[in-house]
Amino acid sequence: MSVPTAHCEPTGLDPALIEGGPNGRPPLVALIGPPNSGKSTLFNQLTGLRQKVANYPGVTVEKHLGRARLPGHREVLIVDLPGVNGFSARTLDERVTRDVLEGRAEGMPTPDALLLIVDSTRLETQLMLVEPVLALSVPTLLVLNMTDELERRGGSIDEQKLATELGVEVIRANARAGIGVDRVRAFLEGVASRGAAAPSALKRATNVPHMEDPAVEHPATGDLAEDFAEVRHAPAPPPNIHETRAASRRIELPVVDVFVNRRGRVRVVSQKAAFRPPLPSKLTERLDSIFLHRVWGPILFVVVVALVFQAIFAGATPMIDLLDSAVSTSGEWFKTMMPDRWYRSLLVDGVWMGVGSVVVFLPQILILFLFLGVLEDSGYMARAAVIADRSMYRLGLQGRAFLPLLSAYACAVPAILAARTIEDERDRLATIFVAPFMTCSARLPVYALLIKAFVPEKRLLGPFLGTQAATLLGLYILGALAAIFTAFVLKRTLLKGRGASFMMELPPYRLPTLRSLGLRLYDRSKIFLQRAGSIILLVTLILWGLLQFPRQNGAPPAIDESALGRIGHVIEPAIAPLGFDWQIGIGLISSLAAREVIVGTLGTIYGVENAGEDSVGLQARLKEHLDFGGAVALLVFFAFALQCTSTIAVMHRETGGWKWPALQWSYMLGLAFIGAYIANRVL
Amino acid sequence: MNLNHDAELRLGQIPLRQTVQLVRIDLPAHEMEPLLERGILPGCELCPVRFSPWGDPVLLVDGALIALRREIAGCLCVKHLSADAA
Repeated sequence: MSVPTAHCEPTGLDPALIEGGPNGRPPLVALIGPPNSGKSTLFNQLTGLRQKVANYPGVTVEKHLGRARLPGHREVLIVDLPGVNGFSARTLDERVTRDVLEGRAEGMPTPDALLLIVDSTRLETQLMLVEPVLALSVPTLLVLNMTDELERRGGSIDEQKLATELGVEVIRANARAGIGVDRVRAFLEGVASRGAAAPSALKRATNVPHMEDPAVEHPATGDLAEDFAEVRHAPAPPPNIHETRAASRRIELPVVDVFVNRRGRVRVVSQKAAFRPPLPSKLTERLDSIFLHRVWGPILFVVVVALVFQAIFAGATPMIDLLDSAVSTSGEWFKTMMPDRWYRSLLVDGVWMGVGSVVVFLPQILILFLFLGVLEDSGYMARAAVIADRSMYRLGLQGRAFLPLLSAYACAVPAILAARTIEDERDRLATIFVAPFMTCSARLPVYALLIKAFVPEKRLLGPFLGTQAATLLGLYILGALAAIFTAFVLKRTLLKGRGASFMMELPPYRLPTLRSLGLRLYDRSKIFLQRAGSIILLVTLILWGLLQFPRQNGAPPAIDESALGRIGHVIEPAIAPLGFDWQIGIGLISSLAAREVIVGTLGTIYGVENAGEDSVGLQARLKEHLDFGGAVALLVFFAFALQCTSTIAVMHRETGGWKWPALQWSYMLGLAFIGAYIANRVL
Repeated sequence: MNLNHDAELRLGQIPLRQTVQLVRIDLPAHEMEPLLERGILPGCELCPVRFSPWGDPVLLVDGALIALRREIAGCLCVKHLSADAA
């Protein structure tokens, strides 16, 4: 099954690429290193791709394949891997890395060479990874990333001496600025000239048990290094920590010894390489004293969130209005330019009004992603997770779950994948289950349309918050409350158990670069417009077709008589209690493919329905079809219902079956119906 | 089990900005491993630099800031550096 993330996050190349051409496959080079050491940044520099990068650990949770083109028409394939601190592979993303390194990843040979990238400001801890990696006996280049930061903070390292000590090539780099990339390329040229090894020689004998082996109860130990021999034979982890905590102490010694011994060797190496650790970052200290302050921390958190919502409305409204009138005006203009044939209605009333009514919401999506980008790239995200951890703990989840849930504000699909960083399987499932309640960007066009049509704008808190932004904020809170409630119930019923420890590395604060933010927005626009040009276009075409038949005297039927109208009237009784008419009902059905499709659907239906009249815009038409209670009911419905095929597909993949997706879809639909019914009754 | 362990200092008792040495981690192996991998292992120096708004410590370990839950900090046995010198 293909990775169903294409619509949400840009992905790398097709794995089929690895099959190679007539001259065999190009060599494969794996990028490995601890989390947040800059692997994806280097990957992007080498391949020209734009894998997501941000300043917190655990951004990459899946392997991504790219191609680095080298002089002389040569090339190597590069696989970017999730960050690991060791090879115990406790989490699913760590297992992805281990499987690739061991040549067990499906459709991927064992790497021919490795790029081991470490954050040199934390060299001693990160060098702990060197030993097991070198034990793989694959040509390796050690990339000391962020040496600029190391030196700025008063640290130093002699990479030549380090190379001598480790017996491996070492270079300095600043992947973000592209410094050192030429030397990485030189290494890759060497790899390319050696070519890919024959598959038979690649597969190392792995006679130790695999994680799939039912004889191995505890899959958390790998076979990467001899050092782990002792750990491998350790008993399985206890199901209940508290009962067996004392008993498990018996197996502490080997595990600790492995690390302590390795740490001792690393220290000797780093001393010989004249490593001087950096001083703590002053900027980070100062900012943390504010953002993690007992009082200011949580207050600032709320202020930041409120600002984002106000910006989404106040900032985007002029742009949206402009685009909206541009779509209507140009639609009218097309009409006058085209002969009155059947295709005029298709192009103008169907496609233009359908796709156009979704496209106008691009500015809001971009503002949301601009803010998310700043939060992610600056390093604030990790702090937010720390602030949220206690509340998450009370729910039965852990602060780690906060990062996937925050990313669900963009899209639930990467959020569900990001839950792989959660060690505890029950916590991971609970996080996956509640992620679709977080308000994703596909809901934004629906919310914005309804709010602009039904909520009059008034000032609430001076210039800081207006009624429209407050309504939007309310909907985000409603989604979050539903998530909290669901997590609370789940962790006390189906997914009982707690005790997962929380640990979060806090990266230094970094200034987000304009380039990085610009690229994010560019990629996001592309994804949004591609969706409008594919799925939404397709749905509008189908709907327009259903509105044209059955023909009456060779002309399109009255809308109530059309095929679509008849389908709509069949489902109308089911949704009438929620305050929806059949047109909204068709919108709901079409939004099962993806939420924002309803906007395009209504654009098309109202466009065809009122083809003879002046275009008054979607908002005005909506007011003819919905009263205030119905509008609120529709908002509530969208806050709760799981209308997203991509989410369901990725749920199926990440939970390994249909049980969880089916349960979740039914649960969310039930909640949506009940919520919408109550809203319509009360208002 | 050595009863003297209970008399030892726990990281949770250490005031901010005082560097201590880790002696032992009282956690089961699978919970301990993530700590070990991040350099929190016996013999290393730890310095609590900050508390989160809810009282969970942020440690400085080998140049990195690591946030832990206070329950975990309570499982880390430490000693003062001066005691080490003596």
